[in-house]
Amino acid sequence: MLEAVVSGLATFFLAPAAIALGRRLGITGVDVHKPWKPVVPKTGGLAIALGAAAGMLTGAYISGIRVFAPIILSCLIAAAIGFIEDLREEINPRLKPLLLVFASLPILAFEAYYPRPLIPFLGRARLYKVYPVLVMASYPIVCNAVNSVDVLNGSALLTSIPFFIMSAAIFYLRGDYHLLLLSLIFLAAAAAMLPYNMYPAKTFIGNSGSLFLGAGMTSIAVVGSIEVAAIIALIPQIMNEMYVLFSIRGIRSAKGVGKRPVVLEDGALTASRELDAPITLLRMICAGIRVDERRAVYAMALISAFAALLGFLTNLLLGG
Amino acid sequence: MSLSRNVLAIIALMLIIWASLLLVSYVAAITILYTLEFPGDTLISIARVILGLLIAGAWVLGWYKLTRLWLYKILLSRRREI
Repeated sequence: MLEAVVSGLATFFLAPAAIALGRRLGITGVDVHKPWKPVVPKTGGLAIALGAAAGMLTGAYISGIRVFAPIILSCLIAAAIGFIEDLREEINPRLKPLLLVFASLPILAFEAYYPRPLIPFLGRARLYKVYPVLVMASYPIVCNAVNSVDVLNGSALLTSIPFFIMSAAIFYLRGDYHLLLLSLIFLAAAAAMLPYNMYPAKTFIGNSGSLFLGAGMTSIAVVGSIEVAAIIALIPQIMNEMYVLFSIRGIRSAKGVGKRPVVLEDGALTASRELDAPITLLRMICAGIRVDERRAVYAMALISAFAALLGFLTNLLLGG
Repeated sequence: MSLSRNVLAIIALMLIIWASLLLVSYVAAITILYTLEFPGDTLISIARVILGLLIAGAWVLGWYKLTRLWLYKILLSRRREI
């Protein structure tokens, strides 16, 4: 448990420094869903990445948990790619998935995976040659999916926390202490950032934070062999990214699309009624109604919590 | 209340997606993939993987079509409430 405490405390106490750094270097973004359009640092992700890395390093070097080493590397590679994007605006949307493949390499190099995922009704599939390719593909998909739900204050954190609770519960029931600790490290880091990222946000977690969390989820799913439960728990995030990709027809930056999925009316969010606007989770939540930002985020969190429950139940059904 | 209704509608959609994943997996397990279970045969292994990917792709496409229908025919079809 010491590792999770280190992760939470380090994230919480590093956050003010990350915010100050963001202001000093001008790494800021406009909070477009507020009528007064405040300018907010987007460096909160640095505190999450450093805090969780501190927790994992404590596990790796004090408790001697070797599996943490490739996971730290994977997550930090993803966070570094996100930080570059935070610094110099968006990376080419076709190049970014290719860069995120690098986040999978430490897991593959350390062979920290079991190439026989448990598929419902099929049992353990034999994917000795295909599995590494799937691992490489999974990092860009999940990282971008988590990034795509980071649209409102606290939305990426509150939709990620149910995943970590689900994985912690699965590993607790399985008796896997190391992976339980890993889930708690990420959970503690995400929870510790909430006071800074919830409405009204003092900082955004930025792409560094969302890609770090995405890489953490992918690593937990791959190393812990809970692939199907993870896919189900991530339905809201994957659905959000998939809808955006399908509805803007290809890998393009969502920012480059003229039509917005939601519009701001008198300080409240409402869904666009235009047929060619991107289909997103937030647009579905705001369909036909006007919702304030806080309630929309709680709705996203509730939907994610339900998906995590389904993931947990599926894992029980699978006997994993 | 309207927000609760939208959230419930999305949860219902997720339940359908979840159930369809289990159903597709079950049908694939007892029909197509069961007949291709010959460990050691490379061609059969490749065929199994390709079929699995095609089935997964079809499921994702069905998921997207269902979501479009859900948004435009159910969620956005109601009169706007303020």
